[in-house]
Amino acid sequence: MAGIWVHGEIAGDGSLTKLSTEVATLARAVAEQLGGTEVTGVVIGSDPAAPAGELAGFVPKVLAVTEPTTADHAAGMIVAQRLAALIEAHDPDIVMTGAGPEGRDVAGALSALTGWGVLANATAVRGEDGSPVATHSVFGGKLITESGFAGGKGIVTVRPNSVTPEPAGSAGTVEEATATGELQQPVVPVVDRLEAETKAAQIDDARIIVAGGRGVGGPDGFGLIQELADALGGAVGATRAAVDSGWIPYSQQIGQTGKIVKPQLYLAMGVSGAIQHKVGMQTASTIIAVNRDPDAPIAEFADMIVIGDLVEVGNALLAELRARSG
Amino acid sequence: MRIVVLTKPVPDPASGGERLLPDGRLDRANSPAVVNGNDEYVLEKALKLIEAAGDGEVILLTMAPDSAPETMRKALAMGATRGVLVTDPQIAGSDTVATTRVLAAALKTLEFDLVFAGVDTSDGTAGVVAPGVAALNGLPYLSYAASIDPDEGARTVRVKRITADGYDVLEAPMPALISGTQALGEPRYPSLKGIMAARSKEITTVSLADLDIDPGSVGLDGATTKVVDSRRPEARGATTVVREAPDEAARQIVALLAERRLI
Amino acid sequence: MTTASRAQGPFRLTDEQQMLRDAVRVLADDRVVPRAAEIDKTGEFPEDMRRLLADHDILALPFPTEHGGLGGELLSICLAVEQLSRACATTGLILAVQELGSLPITLAGTDQQKARWFPKLASGEQLIAFALTEPEAGSDAAAARTTAKRDGDDYVIDGSKRFISQGSVADLVVIFAVTDPEAPRHERLSAFVVEVPTEGFSVTRLEHKMGIRGSPTAELAFSKLRVPAANRLGEEGDGWSIAMRTLDRSRTGIAAQAVGIAQGALEAATAYARDRKQFGQRIGDFQQIGAMLADMDAGTEAARQLLYKACVEIDAGAPDASRWSAMCKLVAGDTAMRVTTDAVQVLGGYGYIDEFPVERMMRDAKITQLYEGTQQIQRLVIARTLLGKAD
Repeated sequence: MAGIWVHGEIAGDGSLTKLSTEVATLARAVAEQLGGTEVTGVVIGSDPAAPAGELAGFVPKVLAVTEPTTADHAAGMIVAQRLAALIEAHDPDIVMTGAGPEGRDVAGALSALTGWGVLANATAVRGEDGSPVATHSVFGGKLITESGFAGGKGIVTVRPNSVTPEPAGSAGTVEEATATGELQQPVVPVVDRLEAETKAAQIDDARIIVAGGRGVGGPDGFGLIQELADALGGAVGATRAAVDSGWIPYSQQIGQTGKIVKPQLYLAMGVSGAIQHKVGMQTASTIIAVNRDPDAPIAEFADMIVIGDLVEVGNALLAELRARSG
Repeated sequence: MRIVVLTKPVPDPASGGERLLPDGRLDRANSPAVVNGNDEYVLEKALKLIEAAGDGEVILLTMAPDSAPETMRKALAMGATRGVLVTDPQIAGSDTVATTRVLAAALKTLEFDLVFAGVDTSDGTAGVVAPGVAALNGLPYLSYAASIDPDEGARTVRVKRITADGYDVLEAPMPALISGTQALGEPRYPSLKGIMAARSKEITTVSLADLDIDPGSVGLDGATTKVVDSRRPEARGATTVVREAPDEAARQIVALLAERRLI
Repeated sequence: MTTASRAQGPFRLTDEQQMLRDAVRVLADDRVVPRAAEIDKTGEFPEDMRRLLADHDILALPFPTEHGGLGGELLSICLAVEQLSRACATTGLILAVQELGSLPITLAGTDQQKARWFPKLASGEQLIAFALTEPEAGSDAAAARTTAKRDGDDYVIDGSKRFISQGSVADLVVIFAVTDPEAPRHERLSAFVVEVPTEGFSVTRLEHKMGIRGSPTAELAFSKLRVPAANRLGEEGDGWSIAMRTLDRSRTGIAAQAVGIAQGALEAATAYARDRKQFGQRIGDFQQIGAMLADMDAGTEAARQLLYKACVEIDAGAPDASRWSAMCKLVAGDTAMRVTTDAVQVLGGYGYIDEFPVERMMRDAKITQLYEGTQQIQRLVIARTLLGKAD
């Protein structure tokens, strides 16, 4: 095993993404299981120093590669090309990225450029008999599969919220470099950056999520959901039905075509728990549902289901919570 | 304008019948196939663009091990013009590397202004095929689109890419490959007219040989990854059913939250 | 003696037929189910349902594409009738009658006649009715007395028709009248397409019926009603043959209505049996109820499969099309009556009141044993086909 590489993603504000710290933590664990193979972080961007420094808190060595074009061009394809060239030069065996949009773009392009296979959306990775084995949840969570690479080399993308980030005992070193060589793939300029209309609390990493489904009945109904989220210190989530009806923005959608979340508490109000939504939240530590229908699918996997009207129960719950804290 | 839409047949997530055969391949006989959810969103966008322009073609491109293009029929019933199906029994068990190669090769045989793909699929959620196809074919790649605005006159296309903070607005010349999300807008139900019209729409089948691809390099034999084990997930444990009046129910919820140190 | 099947290969619905069935089912669940009870209660023809079917191109199914139709084959039309009837028998009948009434034109009309009438029928802008039955000519339809006398470029029609479905809301009425009283029995009649309203045409009566109460069943009177010769379908004397060939196809539509009604009743009874608890358990788990439901399901499925097969055979040009259509209508009608009666039984007292839909379904089912040829006529047709075969 000649090394595991961790791709460090740069967030909009120039810092390292939380997802990358999760991937780095996982990479260290896998490296240990593989007999102490080397772990190297790679951060490629127009200003890589700071995120590289952050990544160095998690892995022993980080390559900080300056690539100016990523400042105002779509980064994924550019990063992939530079990564491919570095791989050619340094010959690692495994590259691990996050399975968010950035990581997947990089992984996909990198796979095409190198011919390497991809173990995608891993919820866990371990080292076994000299190579990595990734765990996946497939078919909407109905099946757990474990996969490995047929040859020696490959790319692993790691699902968000699968691993708790843990800094390494001591800080690693950062080696700076500048990307050279012409980019072969077309570069796509960013001509504008827009901020989201509603600044809803991010659900990706939220510890507590209160979600509303079709049962909420309309955009006004989400007022109660927001109040509950505020009372619990959490974020508001929604099912596809609620989003498609226009009651709440797509950024809050949880499920197969939305986000996959792993909060400690998922409070589902008027959510049926159909498979497309279940996929997005079934690994939450605690699931509590409020629904009028005792046969709703969510009753099968929630820890607690309250059969009742979500407005009545929701208001009663608000009163209880406020009484406790007040 | 010609738009190719990459569509993947996936096991119907609602069917509950998905399972793997001993060699790790999906047992397709046990679960009906549907068009991948995200593909429907980009297909809808493609149809809307063609309708707004007043003319053009939406061409479906699918890779499947069997020649029963039932999922293509639904997409044709929605309004796509025709379909191209790359099929060969050897394709069964293909990994993302093979899928990417095959689709890229098939794409090279088509003329188009834009290629659309869903960001990921409900059966693999890999999200790596679209950027891979773009890289193999040297196409500008614009991903995670919440909106797609082509300018036919200028031969460019603008995409609002979803980011953590909002959107990046990307622009590229045509031809370009775009992966799209649900934010593009709800797909239509096929109308009866569309369903009946689909009967006479053309589906061209293409073999691996037609694309100069060695069958041994795809499918299970050519896979770069392999499934080593599969199992059912652990059950979560019993569900407590609370039927009491709202006030009492709320107390029970709070008790559980407190017990688990969530409040 | 086995049936020589015209249709090739094992039978299954095509992808498009499945999509069509599902699309109509979704529409029916969404828009028709909520209206069904009210339609039955008020007994008013549901114009909104007609517009719904027109807007969704469902009424276009029986017509060729060159005239604005969807060119649906028999099975597609029946799939749509079935799904609609599952929700509301009256609404399903709107499509079935549109098909029934236009079949004479499809089978015997000239290209000009089709081009003239089909577009508005396909768009659902116009409705068409089939007027064969008379007060003294029901099962014995050939005994019709309504006359059509040639007068220059016109025919003058005198007489009456009874039990004409949608006769009071149709824009076109296909009237079968005697043009040659001296001719042999099955050559006396001719068929005419009459555009209404027109002088000499009146609706004299609307029946109050046991079921399909939203479908107006009219008695029509014709008094010196003039219709141009250009509106005659086929030649003089073709009327009987046109009527019989029409029924050979349209009976499948009634079978589809019956299967739909049965399915609706089965689903209502099953849902009730799941929810209703007596003696500490849900009643569906009692053997007597479970057995009833099982028989209802098996019977409905059998009727459905026979219907689908009949449609495929008839469209494939089976020489014994009459036998297929009679069989599927016979089986489906009897099944619907049995299944709906049992559905009321499963619901017990609740099955008898209009708070639940099964009593309506039972009342609706009965007509499928009566119109487009009584069950006795269907048996006659089948027996004749059997016995008519040489040893």
